[in-house]
Amino acid sequence: MYINTVALADKVLKGTEKLDGTQITAMTIIGLSVVFFALLILVVFLYTSGSFFKAAKPGEKKAAETKKAAPAAPAAAKPAAPKAALQAAAPAEDDSEVVAVIMAAIAAMGTADGKQYRIKSVRPVSGGSGRSAWAQAGIAELTRPF
Amino acid sequence: MQGVIDFFTNTLGGLWTDSGLHALFSAGGWKNLIMILVSFVFMYLAIAKGFEPLLLLPISFGMLLTNLPMAGLYHPELWVLVDGHVNYGEVLKEGGLLDILYLGVKLQLYPPLIFLGIGCMTDFSPLIANPKSFLLGAAAQGGIFFTFVVAGLLGFTAAEAGSIAIIGGADGPTAIYVSTRLLTGGGAITTGNIALAAYTYMALVPIIQPPIMRALTSKKERSVKMEQLRTVSKTEKIIFPIAVTIIVSLLVPSAAPLVGMLMFGNLLKESGVAARLIDTAQNALMNIITIFLGVSVGATTKADQIINLKFGGVMLLGVIAFSLGTACGLIFGKIMYKVTGGKVNPLIGSAGVSAVPMAARISQKVGAETDPTNFLLMHAMGPNVAGVIGSAVAAGVLLSVIG
Repeated sequence: MYINTVALADKVLKGTEKLDGTQITAMTIIGLSVVFFALLILVVFLYTSGSFFKAAKPGEKKAAETKKAAPAAPAAAKPAAPKAALQAAAPAEDDSEVVAVIMAAIAAMGTADGKQYRIKSVRPVSGGSGRSAWAQAGIAELTRPF
Repeated sequence: MQGVIDFFTNTLGGLWTDSGLHALFSAGGWKNLIMILVSFVFMYLAIAKGFEPLLLLPISFGMLLTNLPMAGLYHPELWVLVDGHVNYGEVLKEGGLLDILYLGVKLQLYPPLIFLGIGCMTDFSPLIANPKSFLLGAAAQGGIFFTFVVAGLLGFTAAEAGSIAIIGGADGPTAIYVSTRLLTGGGAITTGNIALAAYTYMALVPIIQPPIMRALTSKKERSVKMEQLRTVSKTEKIIFPIAVTIIVSLLVPSAAPLVGMLMFGNLLKESGVAARLIDTAQNALMNIITIFLGVSVGATTKADQIINLKFGGVMLLGVIAFSLGTACGLIFGKIMYKVTGGKVNPLIGSAGVSAVPMAARISQKVGAETDPTNFLLMHAMGPNVAGVIGSAVAAGVLLSVIG
């Protein structure tokens, strides 16, 4: 499909002339329609090609998850995110070690305050975005400058 | 002895009448003085307030240079059309430094080259992962066309209305590209006026957008958390710039120089095989072009072109264009919120006005005000980069229709 707006409009508006109501209305409708139409075609193209790539690579998600885990490791070097570092270093199923680390962090906080803390309850976060707490903390760290 | 005294006084008198100071205090010189003061204001905004300093500083210094009487750096009379054409031979023969640099603006070389650098720096992954972002980028272009309506009703000519309206695209190079093509010289509005308004308002995006965003959205809408975006493969990222170039250029050929160079830069980036070219395009080349573009566009702001009521109209309509673009994006975002059953946060719609990445940052900031655990930045980058393509398409439409 080829829409040559030059041919359609044939420079219908002379640059040096003032505009009347009909010209203004026509220009607005044509302009918005062409912009929407052009970008709509790109939307259709991207959805089509996107579904093709998803169908062609069923193992992509798994590979992506493996890749995602890898960049977490360098975070171990950052003192700002010690919890995330330990989480990344520990095997996913080793929850007790994670709990021990969290308790140690809370105890350290208590030492600084001169108080003692204990965990009374742990509740799941409501209305979450599907990200883990570690991912949320990472995003918060990255987007804070903005 | 008398002869020596006469020679002495005549020489001094000649020097005085040839000096800029004499011109500054003769008839009409006050306008130059005001423009020099205005250039100081823009320099202050760029240096002290950080308002788009990379462009406002060269523009404001170009404004200072062009308004120094007798310096002869820029001659607007050389750019007035004769029989429908600029006499480029005359420009090369008689032109000053800024006339020569302005050739790149007049011949539409600089904006596409800047787009090349922008393409090298832009990651289109959020847009590829969420293609409906394109619609938000299209909706925000409503600011351009609704401002065209207002400008037309206020009595501006078609070329002036188109040049003012493109400010709503919130994209400096696009605004300069369109206004240079449409404003052929001799009128009260110049490319410099348009560029000044565009860059000033782009710097003011953090002040203009948030009140509109809060007014048009409810707390419930602002607190919507969007699903995590999917991972985009390298092949998709490589196909994207090629496909966009072909599709957009076939639909709106006038947009091809801007979109084509934007996508060429992006292809260099995503190909991963042209590190040296990317380095040049996004650093050295872009910086050189930015300096040339800024100084020469600033030079077009001669006193006579700025100190008039029409420039006031340009500034007023510019802020209207930005506000309308933001509102259109938000309203379309609200429509998508309803259609998707609350899965889209309407705040990302305002990022469709381009102004990369500032507008996306504002979506993130306003979203985080309502819920600090909500991260909209990557979701807003989709409409934001779509807005760049959308404003280039809108520019192509204006150039196609207005002769």
